[in-house]
Amino acid sequence: MKNRDIAIVGVGVHPYGKWPNKSMPEMGCYAISQALEDAHMKWRDIQTMACGAYMWIADQGGVPSLLLGTAVSTMMGGTGIPCVNIVNACATGQTILREACLAVASGEHDIAIAVGTDKSAGGFFRPQGNDKKFDNDWLRYAMTGETNPGYWAMEMRRRIHDCGTTEEDMAMVKVITSKGSVHNPNARYRKEYTLKEVLESPMVCDPLRLYEICATSDSASAIIVVPMDQAEKYTDRPIRINGLAVGSPSFGDPCIPLTYLSALPKADVGTLGWSESRNALAAAYKQAGMTPKDIDVIELPDNSSWHYLTYMDMILQLPYGGSDKLLREGYFNVPDGKVPVCPSGGFGAFGEATVAQGLWQCIEIVYQLRGNLGPRQITNNPKIGLAQSYGYAGNNGVCIMSKAF
Amino acid sequence: MSKKQVPLVEGLFTWPSDQPKLIASKCKKCGTPAFPASPYCTNPDCEKKLENVEKVELSNRAKLYTYAVQAYPMPAPFKMEPFEPFPLGMLDFPEGLRVLGMLTTEKVEIGMEMEMTVRKLYEDDENEYITWAWKPVK
Repeated sequence: MKNRDIAIVGVGVHPYGKWPNKSMPEMGCYAISQALEDAHMKWRDIQTMACGAYMWIADQGGVPSLLLGTAVSTMMGGTGIPCVNIVNACATGQTILREACLAVASGEHDIAIAVGTDKSAGGFFRPQGNDKKFDNDWLRYAMTGETNPGYWAMEMRRRIHDCGTTEEDMAMVKVITSKGSVHNPNARYRKEYTLKEVLESPMVCDPLRLYEICATSDSASAIIVVPMDQAEKYTDRPIRINGLAVGSPSFGDPCIPLTYLSALPKADVGTLGWSESRNALAAAYKQAGMTPKDIDVIELPDNSSWHYLTYMDMILQLPYGGSDKLLREGYFNVPDGKVPVCPSGGFGAFGEATVAQGLWQCIEIVYQLRGNLGPRQITNNPKIGLAQSYGYAGNNGVCIMSKAF
Repeated sequence: MSKKQVPLVEGLFTWPSDQPKLIASKCKKCGTPAFPASPYCTNPDCEKKLENVEKVELSNRAKLYTYAVQAYPMPAPFKMEPFEPFPLGMLDFPEGLRVLGMLTTEKVEIGMEMEMTVRKLYEDDENEYITWAWKPVK
């Protein structure tokens, strides 16, 4: 970042799963404690905090969960530091990490923490109110029956039509990502899947099958950042943040982002679409002074096989459909591909925990860059990694990180 | 006597009608359409003046861009009684918009010419509650 180079010196993750007897602040405190221990810090060392605000408040949590960071800091013990609560859908993680980094890069603070904690609504995500007049999310859900997997399935069918993506390609995504889950202690589903198992799983939203769609989970994550020139006080394995950007859709993008009813495709925005992802990626690459060729490892939101293939097209700046061929050639294999994708196990093994997952994706890159992960360590000796997220209304975040030791 | 057919939400499509149409907005300055109707023109380079934007009816015909089938029932506020797996799609309008909507059949193909109609979601003692839907042009 401008003004100051930023280092990640502490990370913490609450294991993914369903934790009905734990509150979101409790999971947040767990993640913070892990991150503090990792950075050899005390809670009082933290000077500013950015936290995810909860989205599914009609189901649980209520107003206090809109101010979730404040609830977490109260449970940790209030120290009076600035605490902001931000919701940016699935891109919340990268958004609050950016907030923490900006606080340090500006020189306002030297130690900042980003915290996300979430108990995502089970089953199909749904509107959180009953506003038939102005809530487009309510209208698209109740009037057109569009669920998230329904949207993904429509995009998947169009990709099959345009690019010739096969049933086997879609199933191979799960086969490959599941390989990383087996030895990951934070994964919810630690099991390797065969092509046959995936292809025989029930059809949820034709053409997407059950094992080609992620579950929803409870989890929390925390990341501590400091100026690079102070990092050695806290860790011998600092990770540099080279590029960190948040994007939103461009007018004329051909895709209808979730919660919307329509789009106005314009030829000059590009036939590939999903401009929000390209916008965040382009900004992060520019900030880092890097190109796709520099990236050794990727965590992306494999909410479905469609996401994985589409986002790989965009992350590597391939022609539409280009990632299908690389997938078949084993380029993205875990742990031994040229550029392993979702070596954590991905959302397929973790499930999505909306406002916490963006941080967790960055943390999985941190783990791989630090190295020595045993059987789940990827084998290409990674120096640079990228974590990308995508969410409701087209909010998108990208973080590019590199080894700084 | 058959029940009265009532849109689940009023103002999104013309009703009652033999040829129902979606109700959108259009900017008189630059021609940008929006659905549902937007009070301001959504073109970032166009001026934001309420008087520039008018309500328009979209074409009753559109091309199927893509579709999928929702096989499992979903929680409220979606309500279809009785629930049955249903197809839904994205439709490309001559006006340039791409819009979501249910389909009346899954026997469709990408690129097919479709015509707007309505379908029932559920009923109570007095009314049948309907939404817009698309059927292949015969």
